Amino acid sequence: MTAVISTFEVCRYFGDDQETMVKAVDRVSIEIERGEFTAIVGPSGSGKTTLLHLLGGLDNPTSGSVELSGTNIADMSGATLSDFRRDHIGFIFQSYNLIPVFSAEENIEYIMLLQGVDASERKRRVADMLQQVGLEGLGNRRPNKLSGGQQQRVAIARAMVSRPQIILADEPTANLDSKNGIALLDLMKELNQQSKMTFVFSTHDEKIMSRASRLIHMHDGEIELDELR
Amino acid sequence: MLLLKLAFRNIFRQRRRSLLTALSLGGGYILCVFSFSLSEGSYNSAISFFILDHTGHIQIHQDDYLLRPKIHKTIDDPQGLSELLDANDEIISHTLRVFAPAIAYSDTDNAPARVIGVALERERSTSTLAVKISAGVYIDDTLDAEGYYSAMIGAGIANNLNIGLDDELILISQGADGSIANDIYIVRAIVGDRTSPDRATVFLPLIAAQEFLSMVDSVHEISILLQDDGAARSVATSLQEQLPELSVAPWQVVESTFYQSMQADKQGNVFFMGFIIFIVFIGVLNTVLMSVLERTREFGVLKAIGSRPFKIALMITCETSLLASLSLIAGLLVSVPFTAWFSAVGFELAEPMNIGGIVMSHMTGEMSLYVFGAPLLLIIFFAIIISIPAGIRAARISPTEAMRSH
Ligand SMILES: Nc1ncnc2c1ncn2[C@@H]1O[C@H](COP(=O)(O)OP(=O)(O)OP(=O)(O)O)[C@@H](O)[C@H]1O
Ligand SMILES: [Mg+2]
Repeated sequence: MTAVISTFEVCRYFGDDQETMVKAVDRVSIEIERGEFTAIVGPSGSGKTTLLHLLGGLDNPTSGSVELSGTNIADMSGATLSDFRRDHIGFIFQSYNLIPVFSAEENIEYIMLLQGVDASERKRRVADMLQQVGLEGLGNRRPNKLSGGQQQRVAIARAMVSRPQIILADEPTANLDSKNGIALLDLMKELNQQSKMTFVFSTHDEKIMSRASRLIHMHDGEIELDELR
Repeated sequence: MLLLKLAFRNIFRQRRRSLLTALSLGGGYILCVFSFSLSEGSYNSAISFFILDHTGHIQIHQDDYLLRPKIHKTIDDPQGLSELLDANDEIISHTLRVFAPAIAYSDTDNAPARVIGVALERERSTSTLAVKISAGVYIDDTLDAEGYYSAMIGAGIANNLNIGLDDELILISQGADGSIANDIYIVRAIVGDRTSPDRATVFLPLIAAQEFLSMVDSVHEISILLQDDGAARSVATSLQEQLPELSVAPWQVVESTFYQSMQADKQGNVFFMGFIIFIVFIGVLNTVLMSVLERTREFGVLKAIGSRPFKIALMITCETSLLASLSLIAGLLVSVPFTAWFSAVGFELAEPMNIGGIVMSHMTGEMSLYVFGAPLLLIIFFAIIISIPAGIRAARISPTEAMRSH
């Protein structure tokens, strides 16, 4: 199996002062294989969000490297990095993922517009994604007319529709009740199995992490335990 | 397309705030249009007033007669010149004049007078002299039974000398050859009233004035009326090339005091409008920055999923220009009919106003591309300028920071 993303001794420190410096991520080396369904778990402040942002090229590491399919994204910036994220990485955030003035469909379509996908293909893929996440018929609703769970499904659809190499989700279920949270995770798992899309998500929740096939435990910015299940 | 849709919806997202911004933009625009219309309108009516009253669009003199009038600075071949001017398509008409100071006498009184000899028929089609006659008839250049020429006199002279129609008027002056000039004329018309600028003028037939002043058939001034109001400078330049030995001046030079004070006033006006627009835009800047700040998270998401920073900045410019355009459309809808009325009907001033030496009591506006276009461009320009700092700010939002802020 080949690694989609690998990091080598990646560090992200906040603050210049030795005394008060926070080592949010400290010398982390991991490899994520294609098709994985991996959870990053750990207490609050352990560095989960920071690591996900480093993996997705949202943040630049203090040192170390992050390679996506052999390309080091640690020192990309500006439009190059934007384009790289657009084409290779899907993001799902904890909340407020969607553009409120766009309908569900338009939210999904937008990223393909950035990619320059033509109109008929966009339409086809939007319809397909809506069906896959179980939102047929709700495409023209604005986010404020959708429930939290439905909004997260739109976010999943948006993340997948650009056909990225990996989807990074930072506590995607944190704002949902446990029933909806589990349903959302089951949907992600199903999509992972159908499409062989790679998923990495972070969570606090025991029930949610039990769905993952690999658990990366973090503590104080370091990897404490990396277990396959 | 989606970008425009996004801009459109974002504007309608904060309805009240966008409405307030639009009101101040539209209001600023309307204010500018009215002010431009008023200033253009009043200057243009002042200009057409003196152009038709006596100045014409272009004047021709000998040498520096315009600055230092001397009786001997004469144009010596007016006939030849008249033929040239009559053949020019851009010229409606022209008239020939001579000037001299004189003392006017009646049986009982005397008064200083300004004698102007005019080519009567040409003058009628070039200036409003014929229209200004308040009593009597426009004269001709024939001698009466007793061998006297007719004269038209300002109402001030008539009053000072206590004379009226058909009375005798005696003029004394100095001829071009240094001789004493004096002659008798019969008053056939009174020009204007006792307050008009012509109140101390005596108008004579050109030939009578030339004889009176021993000027043979030379003249002091040729005043020209053009087809096109805007062509004074260009036609003056080409006439000057044809007439190198004479001085050709457009009205901007002839009425240079007026013209310069008008230019200064207009510049002040533009500056003042710029200032008002600037004030309006401080409010707009505030609104735009606020809307960027409020949407930090949204821009964070847009950037995270791969929108280029430039595209984010463009989005802000798009929104601001769109809002400005909508406000301008509303502003046009209000200002076009109002300005149309204002330029067609106008209003009476409670107190007559002095514009560069010309007293006006009725104001009309100007309806032109400049009046609507100049403030429009000014506002669009400012809208784009103002959106740049806000756009840069939005483009610089770091997704990681944005995701942490709630
Ligand atoms: N921009 C920043 N400036 C300073 N310190 C930061 C910054 N971002 C994160 N940190 C610190 O880095 C550490 C790791 O934060 P991070 O958000 O990655 O943890 P987390 O595991 O995601 O926590 P949570 O479960 O609460 O989301 C924390 O101590 C946090 O305070
Ligand atoms: Mg976190």
